[in-house]
Amino acid sequence: MSERAELTTRLCRINQSIKPDDVVVAFGFDLCPDENSPVDGFVAVTSTHVYVYEDDRLAADFDQDKISEYIFTNGVGCVFAECVYDGEHMLLCRATMEHRDLISSVIWQLNRRRERGTYSYAYENEIDVTCPKCGIRYPSGSHVCPHCTAKTGYFKRIWEIARPYKFFIFLSIGLYFISAIVQLLPAYLNKLLIDNYIKVDGAYELSQTSEFIIGFIGVIVSLLGVNILTRAIGVVRGLTLIEAGTRMMVALRGMVFDKIQRLSVSKISKRTAGELMNRVTDDTNQLQNFITNDIGSALEQILIFLAVSVILFAYDWRLAFLILLPAPIVMIANRLFHTYMRRVFHRQWVMNSRANTILHDIFSGIRVVKAYGSEHREMERYDKATRDECNAQITAETFFAKFSPLMSFLMGIGEFFLLYYSGAKILSHEMTLGDMQLFTTYVSIIYGPLRWLSNFPRRYERTMTSVVKIFDIIDEDVDVDDKADAVELDIKGNIEFTDVSFGYDSGNNVLHNINLTVSPGDFVGIVGRSGVGKSTLINLVMRLYDVDDGSIKIDGVDIRDISQSSLRSQIGVVLQETFLFSGTVYENIAYAKPSATRDEVLAAAKLAGAHSFIMKMPDAYNTRVGERGHTLSGGERQRIAIARALLHDPRILILDEATASLDTETEKQIQDALQTLSKNRTTLAIAHRLSTLRNATKLIVLDKGTVAEVGTHDELMRRRGIYYGLVMAQRQMSRMSS
Amino acid sequence: MSELKTTALSDVVSITYITKENAEFRKEGDFLSLRVDLPVGNGLDGEPTGGEKYYERIYLHRSFPYEHPYEYISVLDRDSAEIGIIADVAEFDEETAKMLRHELDRKYFAPVITKILSVKERYGYSYWDVITDDGRRLSFTVRDTFRSIIKVTQEHIFLTDNDSNRYEIKDTEALDRKSFKRIELYL
Repeated sequence: MSERAELTTRLCRINQSIKPDDVVVAFGFDLCPDENSPVDGFVAVTSTHVYVYEDDRLAADFDQDKISEYIFTNGVGCVFAECVYDGEHMLLCRATMEHRDLISSVIWQLNRRRERGTYSYAYENEIDVTCPKCGIRYPSGSHVCPHCTAKTGYFKRIWEIARPYKFFIFLSIGLYFISAIVQLLPAYLNKLLIDNYIKVDGAYELSQTSEFIIGFIGVIVSLLGVNILTRAIGVVRGLTLIEAGTRMMVALRGMVFDKIQRLSVSKISKRTAGELMNRVTDDTNQLQNFITNDIGSALEQILIFLAVSVILFAYDWRLAFLILLPAPIVMIANRLFHTYMRRVFHRQWVMNSRANTILHDIFSGIRVVKAYGSEHREMERYDKATRDECNAQITAETFFAKFSPLMSFLMGIGEFFLLYYSGAKILSHEMTLGDMQLFTTYVSIIYGPLRWLSNFPRRYERTMTSVVKIFDIIDEDVDVDDKADAVELDIKGNIEFTDVSFGYDSGNNVLHNINLTVSPGDFVGIVGRSGVGKSTLINLVMRLYDVDDGSIKIDGVDIRDISQSSLRSQIGVVLQETFLFSGTVYENIAYAKPSATRDEVLAAAKLAGAHSFIMKMPDAYNTRVGERGHTLSGGERQRIAIARALLHDPRILILDEATASLDTETEKQIQDALQTLSKNRTTLAIAHRLSTLRNATKLIVLDKGTVAEVGTHDELMRRRGIYYGLVMAQRQMSRMSS
Repeated sequence: MSELKTTALSDVVSITYITKENAEFRKEGDFLSLRVDLPVGNGLDGEPTGGEKYYERIYLHRSFPYEHPYEYISVLDRDSAEIGIIADVAEFDEETAKMLRHELDRKYFAPVITKILSVKERYGYSYWDVITDDGRRLSFTVRDTFRSIIKVTQEHIFLTDNDSNRYEIKDTEALDRKSFKRIELYL
């Protein structure tokens, strides 16, 4: 039963005059309104009232008619639902953060209901819920419980990924099996050699017979054969692993990378670039290694252990028992040892990365450090960090140095039992020297798998951590996705916003109820104070995010019905912050249109005013830029970005502070270029410097997330509103600075 | 040679302080309203500021939430524009100070952890089971544990869970030995 249905039943039981059909919505909360103690409460909205119950007692009752607005407020570690009742702000409830998404959606819908009379429950399916199995909430944006799905679910899915390479995987597992058996053979052959040929009674006489010689050489040849076989298996297995591993790695990376590319900007920007890189490279590597290496190795080790145990027990159960007696102790000690080692080495790792971060900071900001003369302070900071790291390392290494030999001793302790026992048996002629040799070899073999297997849980754990992180991304819901019947549209350039509302977080609307129309060929300037939602508005046109309410139509088609590639291929963007990829200047301009001819690229560069400075560089269009290339100034990068947009020849051109970092003269040049370019295409331009927008056919002034004024420069100046205020303030400023 | 006088930062920009002399906070409905009389001047965009004003609902925001919970409190209007700053809540009369503290305590919610029953690390998440100062037992999940811990000092830490709930440990040294052992790795 949903929370809403449950609370409705509860309400009707407490207040029997209310019928379930009267209830519009009900939602729970868990914090006392006035103090930081828990409460089991709920808010129920009926067609006429809003009731607040705390521990099933009516705490407040509001008349719907007197409520003029519902408000959702984010606290820190808690959220508030409020209403304006009879002109006064009243608190409906207070709740911990897990209620945030639900409460903010309810408040949103309640306001909508007040304005338009409709209430949609669609959010109930989108709100993150708790895992029905363990009750732990899903990580945001995902509907997979990392706690529960782990074992069966993930294995099934890993198998799905590995299935295309099953031939190679089974081949390598098979080879591990064979190698396990082959590894046990030399010990037996050695025993034969000693008992039957070297330490045999009357060896000299026997050695004269041809049978003896053939047998003797046969054993030696067999030993040689086993050796060659072991190497051959190693080679084939290595090749198989490379084949399976690399193929799977490519597929896995492709899968994760493809998914990341499909995620919307809002989902991607929740993670850092470094984190995403780890997902694509390290985590996939870990998983691939586990499938191709660890599973096979685990089977090999188990097989060796079982085979040796069976041989030992079959030969002499008392001896086998003696040898295996310390095994459980060794395994437990090994596990404890490694758990502790992990902690101390992890600590060392944290200290190391902290020191590295400081170093990275100092080197990246070396100009600031030097300019403020704070070298000494930074030196001390780094010094302290390295000293901490050094101490952590001493702790870790000291422990390792002390306990590692102890562990080796424990592992080898079985051999002493064996020596005593088998020595006594040889003296009493119950055992041969060959047997002793066989046992000694097997004893040294049997602890290998035990040690390996006692560390296996750790490898498994680490792999599962990577697996969970990989699937975390793969399972993330694609929020901005193409519809199955998305159309390819030939854009003419009409843009229409109808009642558009949008917020990056739940509850915090950046834009509300935006209505505006842009005709094809319009040059629209978007104006307003910083943080008012100008960039958000154009992000919505590019559909980097989907609107929360209302719709944006291009040429009468909702942009959610247009395929994203079709939409974006016809929009050109120049942002304030320009990103140049590693590559040549030419490649960076041609990025927008890889099929462009050299003439086109040159023309675009010329139009953007980039050609002249490009030609001043020795390598001209072949100059390498980006991460490790030639450093360009802000203005130069900007002109390359503009050339890129010009080459794209878009139907809709978006300029977000495109010329803000340029000097006045260059800006004028580019303005003229843009002026030429914007002819006959819809242009949306954001500019802080209002003079940049003097050619705009229409100006839109945003204030507090809504459209405050619309008109031409002259109209808005006459109106003497916000725009007028901004223009006057800028004029005053430029007079002051001139 | 005449002495050159440099312009101090405070000559150019001044912080608007809200004090008991220029402001009156009142509880209106369930929240605070503010009547304030500030010096008249011009904002950065040249817009007029100051004068006598009334705000039917104000919001409080801590400038230094960890170190100075009741000092440097920013007072904001409904559009999140700052009206001014309260240097120290204690400078107001007893009753107002109480109202302000209450409003702040209500907005910043972080249960105080006094005992840690278990911390289980699994597949990149850690699952916590703790007891808080009011004797409640809470369980929560933390993603990327190392990055979710804010250290105010070496001993005083805040923890943010999967849902952005916050938890405070006032003094890790004061925890019992077992509790401390469970989190030692993260400190």
